Amino acid sequence: MSPAGTTLRISLRSLRAHRRRLAGTFLSILLGVSFLAGTMVLGDTLRANFDTLFADANAGTDAVVRSADVLDSPGTPGGVRAPVEAALAARLRTVPGVAAAEASVQGAGQLVGSDGKPVGGQGPPTLAGNWLADPELNPYRLAEGRAPAAPGEAVVNRGAARSGGLHLGDTTVLRTPDPLRITIVGIATFGDSADGMGPSTFTALTTEEAAARLTPKGAGQASAVQVRATPGTSQAELVRAITPYLPAGVQAVTGAAATAESTAQVSGRFLTMFTTLLLVFAGIALLVATFTIHNTFAIVVAQRTRENALLRALGAARGQVLGATLAEALAVGLLASLAGLLGGIGVATGLKALFAALGFSLPTGGTVISAAAVLLPLLVGTVVAAGSALLPAVRAGRTAPLAALRETAVDRAADGRAGRARAALGGLLLAAGVPLAVTGATGGPSVVLTTAGALAVLAGLVVLGPVAAALAVRTLGAPLTRLRGVPGTLARRNAARNPRRTAATATALMIGVAVVTLFTVFGASIRATLDRTVDDSFAGDLAVTAPSFGAGGSGLSPRLADALAGLPEVRQSVGLGRGVARVDGHGRTLDVTDPARLAGIVDLGRVEGSLGALGTDGLAVSRAEADRRGWRLGGSVTVGFTDGTSGPFTVRAVYDAAGLAGDYLVTREAWAPHRGQDSDTMVAVALRPGVPLAQGRAAVERAAAPFGNPQVQDRDQYAASAASGVDMMLSVVYALLALAVLIALLGIANTLTLAIHERTRELGLLRAVGQTRGQLRGMVRWESVLVAAFGTVGGLGLGAFLGWALVKASDAAGTGSFAIPPLQLAVVLVAGLLAGAVAGLRPAGRAARLDVLRAVASD
Amino acid sequence: MSATEPRATTLDLVPDVAARVADAVKVYGVGATEVRALDHVTVDFPAARFTAVMGPSGSGKSTLMHCAAGLDTLSAGSAWIGGTELGTLNDRRLTLLRRERIGFVFQAFNLVPTLTVRENITLPLDLAGAAPDQAWLDSLIDVIGLGDRLHHRPGELSGGQQQRVAVARALAGRPQVVFADEPTGNLDSRTGGEVLGLLRRAVDEMGRCVVMVTHDPTAAGYADQALFLADGRLVDRMDAPTADRVLDRMKAFERRQS
Repeated sequence: MSPAGTTLRISLRSLRAHRRRLAGTFLSILLGVSFLAGTMVLGDTLRANFDTLFADANAGTDAVVRSADVLDSPGTPGGVRAPVEAALAARLRTVPGVAAAEASVQGAGQLVGSDGKPVGGQGPPTLAGNWLADPELNPYRLAEGRAPAAPGEAVVNRGAARSGGLHLGDTTVLRTPDPLRITIVGIATFGDSADGMGPSTFTALTTEEAAARLTPKGAGQASAVQVRATPGTSQAELVRAITPYLPAGVQAVTGAAATAESTAQVSGRFLTMFTTLLLVFAGIALLVATFTIHNTFAIVVAQRTRENALLRALGAARGQVLGATLAEALAVGLLASLAGLLGGIGVATGLKALFAALGFSLPTGGTVISAAAVLLPLLVGTVVAAGSALLPAVRAGRTAPLAALRETAVDRAADGRAGRARAALGGLLLAAGVPLAVTGATGGPSVVLTTAGALAVLAGLVVLGPVAAALAVRTLGAPLTRLRGVPGTLARRNAARNPRRTAATATALMIGVAVVTLFTVFGASIRATLDRTVDDSFAGDLAVTAPSFGAGGSGLSPRLADALAGLPEVRQSVGLGRGVARVDGHGRTLDVTDPARLAGIVDLGRVEGSLGALGTDGLAVSRAEADRRGWRLGGSVTVGFTDGTSGPFTVRAVYDAAGLAGDYLVTREAWAPHRGQDSDTMVAVALRPGVPLAQGRAAVERAAAPFGNPQVQDRDQYAASAASGVDMMLSVVYALLALAVLIALLGIANTLTLAIHERTRELGLLRAVGQTRGQLRGMVRWESVLVAAFGTVGGLGLGAFLGWALVKASDAAGTGSFAIPPLQLAVVLVAGLLAGAVAGLRPAGRAARLDVLRAVASD
Repeated sequence: MSATEPRATTLDLVPDVAARVADAVKVYGVGATEVRALDHVTVDFPAARFTAVMGPSGSGKSTLMHCAAGLDTLSAGSAWIGGTELGTLNDRRLTLLRRERIGFVFQAFNLVPTLTVRENITLPLDLAGAAPDQAWLDSLIDVIGLGDRLHHRPGELSGGQQQRVAVARALAGRPQVVFADEPTGNLDSRTGGEVLGLLRRAVDEMGRCVVMVTHDPTAAGYADQALFLADGRLVDRMDAPTADRVLDRMKAFERRQS
């Protein structure tokens, strides 16, 4: 047989002989690759499903005519366009090649369900518009009922009807944001079958009513004109044909291009964010897997020293021994990756079903598996396995033939020259990383510097691990002897006897826990910042809120603030609206309010200039933004509005505390001529002195009820609801990190199992001289807990430090708070220790079942 | 253990028996691969006596020791430590009995590498949570002559020193019986002699019962009686054995077998 063949045969034989030892490696790769492949397949599938859905629904629209000017601002995906003249549709109908043209009106409309609560509005948009008469141009199809024919009649999409408990003939309210009573005369699907356009809701009114409610002028305007070509006219030909008839500032694009844009909005905004997030966590899981696999192979190679030495003594070359080990890793990696790929496809299908069950109505369609989604996970899984095994394989190749005659080598990572080199290198990395991270956090602040520092600190800890492991485990385990007697002492010494292994095992957990801690600290800090913002700057007693359009709702009626101000219990109330404009060429969000009244309820800090004198051509700007842009009081800036007009505005006030108010304040009067839908996102209410909170609240709730029953919150509730997004983000992150932590725990279990295999005789001796099974189990379990404690404590420290550094680094304005949540971190610590105990269960069970005789018999 | 006490009446007739196997049968495997390691063996191990169990490889001498010491179970017959029949005990009871009433010295790997010399000696006591008798412990340490090595790890000791620590460990809890399985198998004759001398003193000065499995006639020369096993049967016994007499006897067996 050829030398290569022999190498392969040896590695496959040993693979089969040591199946159990590599089970942990197999599982780690399988889980990591499943995650990766699942993410990619889910992303591809959703993208393809959305593509098909949009293409299908918009198939009848050959051209879209719309304002050429698009105003982008953070928080408005796809930007905002000025309306077009509705009469354009009638003119276009006469153009040769045009079969149909209809003005389409689109805006925000929050539907209220049969229970009086808003339908959706927690992220996905809540849309309202006109019902297009031409069935080919209308992406929605009537599933039941008829089109709206009179004011107050509406069609809603099937998904919204279902989640709102609305049926044909029901009467409800649509907030645009002024409440509009509507009767549901029809229920529609998006395209032929979908319940809606993704999870968004859509309410269609008559064209006149839609224009009245959703366009700035209230009549004669439309968001766009949809055009259908005569048979035989291509989309491009149609665009060429109608372009000459368009007024300045209005453009025509093909239906395909418009569809691609809206698809890209969904894919680009929702799916890309979603898949990127998942990929990051798949990466963390695989990084953790790298440590556990490396450790497994290091142990297996150490245990096989005699075997490898014998091969070397019999004439095997270094390369052959190295190759045999590497081939074993490759084979495990490839097999596990294949299994992981299948698992991933299952995960993707399952997740889609889960999202559907949770109420995210995703488009239907088959699972899409691209070549990239197959090849990349396979490659990554195999490379991770082989890469992790590379160093152990090199060590295997270096086995001296004489080692066959010696006792197994002692772990020298922690002492002697190797230990000093480790300590020096690790210390150097820490010495470079910590100041870098601290400088990035406090000096710049600079996220880049901090990240570089964070990576150096992580690398430093990984290098220092073996040096620190023995000491750390001895310290952490100090109470064990008192608590658990001999088994406790033995657990502690066993955990410390192979520092390199203990460190590698614990490092995997440390990384997982560090990321958990980092997010926990980050989340707590955001929450503290929000709390403080509300505490410091909200001087009111109650806040009436509704999600604004950008966040999925339609906001509050602008008349609500005045209605509340008239209540005898209320001292003052002021509305805050959001608008998008181009300020000196940059898309920005403006707060539309009565600045003078606002100052009475929201603390704006020190104000330079006069908030009361903004008028229709004045701006108030936050100090931070003014400094960034180099503006002074009295300076002039150009503000461009979504209706296409622009004009000079004067900076009449500069305020210190942005807080609840944004960076820009304009008056309602200045905004009114340019607005699309006028709405407030929040109405802040201050009660008269002496009015009890409950009484004031009841009065405000009563007065607000006719405006679509918006949420009335006191200060604490307001602060809590502002932070509720943080909690949701944290639970998602914890769920995603669970896999990395699981892999780390598999690593602990695996290392223990291998160690027990090594210690067979010792365990047998202990049993012979009187250690009970229970004591033996306890000994192994406590060893596991100690290793987990080392990893968890390290992770908590690292995560808290990096969390602090990143919070500071990403807080350029210096207004954020930093918070360490002791309760949550205590939970992480306890969970880490418990998980360690669980990881030790199986190895402990196996150790306890050990045959005493086999271990001690000498012949 | 009260459940076993009525049966102890049989042993009351033979006082001073520390350990005993009666009509012991041990069978490994089934059918064609069946091996009879012990074939109806009955032996008493008297208190304050040093018994050597001799025999060629595969004679069943180690099996006899393992079954008598509660490390292995008999296929038929009974094994006793003092008044307790081992067959009636579950794993936990058996473990407690081993650490309280039996001492062990194995051929190799006698000490837990992570524990110090002192911790190894008191291991069975510590496992039981019992306080060691300090005076007794001091005298044991004095006897094995390793007072200056108490805080060393086993890896820092020579093979002979390790075996001496093992003997001290076996005696620390004043057990009824000490079982030694080829305790000098890995030692040269001088250090082996030291270890055997220790076992002898355990019998003479401390009144322990020592049962030693060995194939070395010189080692058997330290015993009060030697038992000879062949093919799982007790074939002969010799009182006050000497190395020469044991060697002659064994040669005689080999001639008979070949």
